[in-house]
Amino acid sequence: MREKELTHKGPARGQYVLAFILGLFTLFCFLPVLLVVIVSFSSEASVAAKGFSFFPTEWSTKAYDYVLKFGRQLLVSYGVTTFVAVFGTLLSLWLTSMFAYSLSRKNFNWRNGLSVYLLITMLFSGGTLGGYLINTNVFHLKNTLWVLILPGCITTMNVIVMRTFINTNVPDSLVEAAKIDGASDYRLFFVIIVPIMAPVLAALGFMTAIGHWNQWMTSYLYITKSELTTLQHMLMKIEKNLDFLKEQLAQGQLSPEQIEEFKNAPSETARMAMLFCTLGPVLVVYPFFQRFFIKGMTVGAVKG
Amino acid sequence: MTRLKHFFRESFRNRALIIMALPGIILVFMFNYMPMFGISIAFKNFNYGKGILGSPWCGLDNFKMLITNMNVTSRIVRNTLGYYFLFTAVGTVANVALAIALYECVFKRYAKVTQTIMIMPTFISFIAVTYIVNALLNNATGMFNNILKSMGKETINWYLSPQYWPAILTVVNVWKGTGYGSIMYLSALSGMDQEIFEAAQIDGATKGQQIRYITLPMLTGMICILLLLGLGGIMHSNTGLHYQVTKNVGLLYSTTQTIDAFILNALTSGTSNFGMNAAVTFFQSVVGCVMVVATNLIVRRWDPDKALF
Repeated sequence: MREKELTHKGPARGQYVLAFILGLFTLFCFLPVLLVVIVSFSSEASVAAKGFSFFPTEWSTKAYDYVLKFGRQLLVSYGVTTFVAVFGTLLSLWLTSMFAYSLSRKNFNWRNGLSVYLLITMLFSGGTLGGYLINTNVFHLKNTLWVLILPGCITTMNVIVMRTFINTNVPDSLVEAAKIDGASDYRLFFVIIVPIMAPVLAALGFMTAIGHWNQWMTSYLYITKSELTTLQHMLMKIEKNLDFLKEQLAQGQLSPEQIEEFKNAPSETARMAMLFCTLGPVLVVYPFFQRFFIKGMTVGAVKG
Repeated sequence: MTRLKHFFRESFRNRALIIMALPGIILVFMFNYMPMFGISIAFKNFNYGKGILGSPWCGLDNFKMLITNMNVTSRIVRNTLGYYFLFTAVGTVANVALAIALYECVFKRYAKVTQTIMIMPTFISFIAVTYIVNALLNNATGMFNNILKSMGKETINWYLSPQYWPAILTVVNVWKGTGYGSIMYLSALSGMDQEIFEAAQIDGATKGQQIRYITLPMLTGMICILLLLGLGGIMHSNTGLHYQVTKNVGLLYSTTQTIDAFILNALTSGTSNFGMNAAVTFFQSVVGCVMVVATNLIVRRWDPDKALF
């Protein structure tokens, strides 16, 4: 991506070698995802005979019929995940940007105190276990939607990135001028600061939303009700359950109900079809945000 | 007294800012500070019924348990540190190499498109990665075993062979993180002065020499800073990789289980000894804290703008 080359004869031979290597690495990144798509469109018989393969003997859309039939849980999980991703991200952006704005004001007398308050969270943490104890024992958040939204709502890193962005992109004179014109801090924030913050909000918002979409651990730890299960957790449960049944089957310990369950379990192709349904939105959306998160990352290289 | 008065008067003047910061302050207290206090059960004989405050203190008993269970403790600490160094070394080399390759490529649009595809794995969940790794390594239907079979070789039961997993996890890590990890280096390179290269070219420097003597030295500062800041996470690992992708198979623990995976397994298997796990977390947190402070001191001396505090 360099601007210009001195040679006027066109690209050197080395350039083609380099392009070839880049192409190989791109294939390495792309093929595993392509495998998911291909398996989801292969027939059961083909997978049974050849295993997972890029070249199935027979194509079929039967896996997606199963997805439609199985659909209820998938639909519920889609709803839960979408709600958490949208609401959780908006809430997180709103609260984080307000926090960052107040920290960016140099005449705010709590400024230094709050900076230290945030900094300490970067030094110590209760880890997964500390969080688990408090969330279940003190806040009783087990099996609530809040546990999927609140714990990661404010992250120190995001506050610091946003504060740095405000400090470098909003001139103090602008704030002063608005103040003199009689704007309150709330008005100033929502009318002047938020529009300026659009690029950093897009970058961090995208990362937060993806984080929510791909989150499996929180749901796995705290959610046992199927109507609150997130997409990733649902996929995980299907896989775990099937592995367990296979293990029992190998030892010949399946009860009649378990045999029935095993028969009704989604096949290899159906599981890949379901996986593709959860991957789809992310794969479609991320190229549009690339510009923003690349910018967001370079804003992140900062001082606190 | 006057100072207190002054504080309250100033706070009242800034009440709008305080109100705006308040939700953040409360959430950080609830979900960052309270869990730290939850870890106090490392020094307690924790009983779920009595709660965190009600359980009796027991001194260092939980830490003694770590020493009696030395084989587990040393295994998870060794794996955590080992994977940290392995991933950092391989990851940094891959990130820098990819950044230089993308930067040197003169087919701009091609580079842009390949970059977009290379970033994709970063946004794929670890559950999806588990499905994909399973599709490749599964004993019966996996692609690798089928290829081995068709070549007339003996198949390998990957999920029962711990010796392969450091390599497998490293490949997965490179696959997932390299496209994204190279962005920082690439943007540093894009900000470089072109004239240096032109001057070097006129002086007869080959491409290899330019990379060796201009590009790499330009990146050293950034590589060092990122390595140093990364040291703060030395005791942490990705549960997606070490718990999920390995399917938490007991036979693989010897080469895959890290501290975070161990804690997650303990929490979800239901038979957990909270006191001992809290002791592990406490140890992890203290070492992490020392590393963050130490590395930050070094970074601040080097480049104050890059230091966290």
